[in-house]
Amino acid sequence: MSLAEGRPHASARARDRAQAVATRVHVDPAAQAAGPSYQGLVTRTIAFALDCAVINLVAIAVGLAVGLASSVLDLPSGVEKGLVAIGGLAWFFWSGGYFVVCWATTGQTPGDRLFHIRVCDARDFNPLPVRRAVLRIVFLTLAAIPLFAGFLPILFDDRRRGIHDMVARSVVVGTDPA
Amino acid sequence: MAALRPVVGAVRLGGRAVEGATLATVDAVLGSRAATEIADRVVDSALVRHALSRALAGPLVEELSREVVRHRVLERTTDTVLSGDALDAIVERALEEGVVERAAARVLDGPELERVLISALESPAMERLVARTIDSRLVDDAVAQLLESEELWVVVEEIAQSPAVSDAITQQSMGFADQVADGVRASSRNADAWLERAARRALRRRPAELSPETGEP
Repeated sequence: MSLAEGRPHASARARDRAQAVATRVHVDPAAQAAGPSYQGLVTRTIAFALDCAVINLVAIAVGLAVGLASSVLDLPSGVEKGLVAIGGLAWFFWSGGYFVVCWATTGQTPGDRLFHIRVCDARDFNPLPVRRAVLRIVFLTLAAIPLFAGFLPILFDDRRRGIHDMVARSVVVGTDPA
Repeated sequence: MAALRPVVGAVRLGGRAVEGATLATVDAVLGSRAATEIADRVVDSALVRHALSRALAGPLVEELSREVVRHRVLERTTDTVLSGDALDAIVERALEEGVVERAAARVLDGPELERVLISALESPAMERLVARTIDSRLVDDAVAQLLESEELWVVVEEIAQSPAVSDAITQQSMGFADQVADGVRASSRNADAWLERAARRALRRRPAELSPETGEP
């Protein structure tokens, strides 16, 4: 008879205590007391650029594969135009879905993860709901249209929020302990 | 025959008187200093040593041993020793003289103990004993008690928080890319702070209140 079978309560207690110890060890009370560390324009821009690179590298790889296949198959010009249109649409959904899925699940894109930052709800710091993640990517695009003026509030806002953050009620915080 | 009775009585009486006088004489002789001196000289003499040596070389020893066994001499002697204070006195004396310490030192220094231990550890009986101990509920209970003890978790916490363990984990988990990213992160955060200060100065706005812990708003 194993220990877990023989003493389920003791095993559960031991597991709880192990988690309590791990929490005490790995969570810095000073960092918790200090509150979230809002991230600035430069850090976020570099992380965003990395994400754009990932998106475009994948898109280029897929586009190359499709282009090579279509060149071998000798498709009619109408079909090729259709493929281009489908490719553009796929790129649109791929790039939008990339951010929405990342923000709505872990709150981190690969670029955010590399820079130890996270997009989250401004009030409870949980990941954004899908609807607000979609809203955020839409307004992020809109904020870039007037010569990136929509991002300027990040420089002045106390919580370093851009227009898209204000609309989606999100903030970008660091994940490192202070 | 009746006429001889007085004579027979007189002879018996005389014999008893002679016997008593003889014994008294022997007692007097044995108790005398001369007798003691004679006995000492006899014992110290070469004759006695020679006789003793001949006796021990002959069949006398075997005969004596048989007699000792037959009359249970050893058992009776042991009983006498154990029932009296002699044994306590012997043990006390041995302890005072440090016999136990010397014996222990000899056993520990000597090769005998090592041989015995190696023999015991390599024996199949020891393997069976260890296997049964591991399979027993005793080990499960001991592990359960250990997991429930506060001391274990204090030890775990101390080890986990120790700088050596933290450094080892950090070194193990940090690759080259992480090191580069660390450098870029630090630079980008400095750039954030610099850009915000410049922007606020340009627009004549008050500087952001920085967190004392993070140095950020």
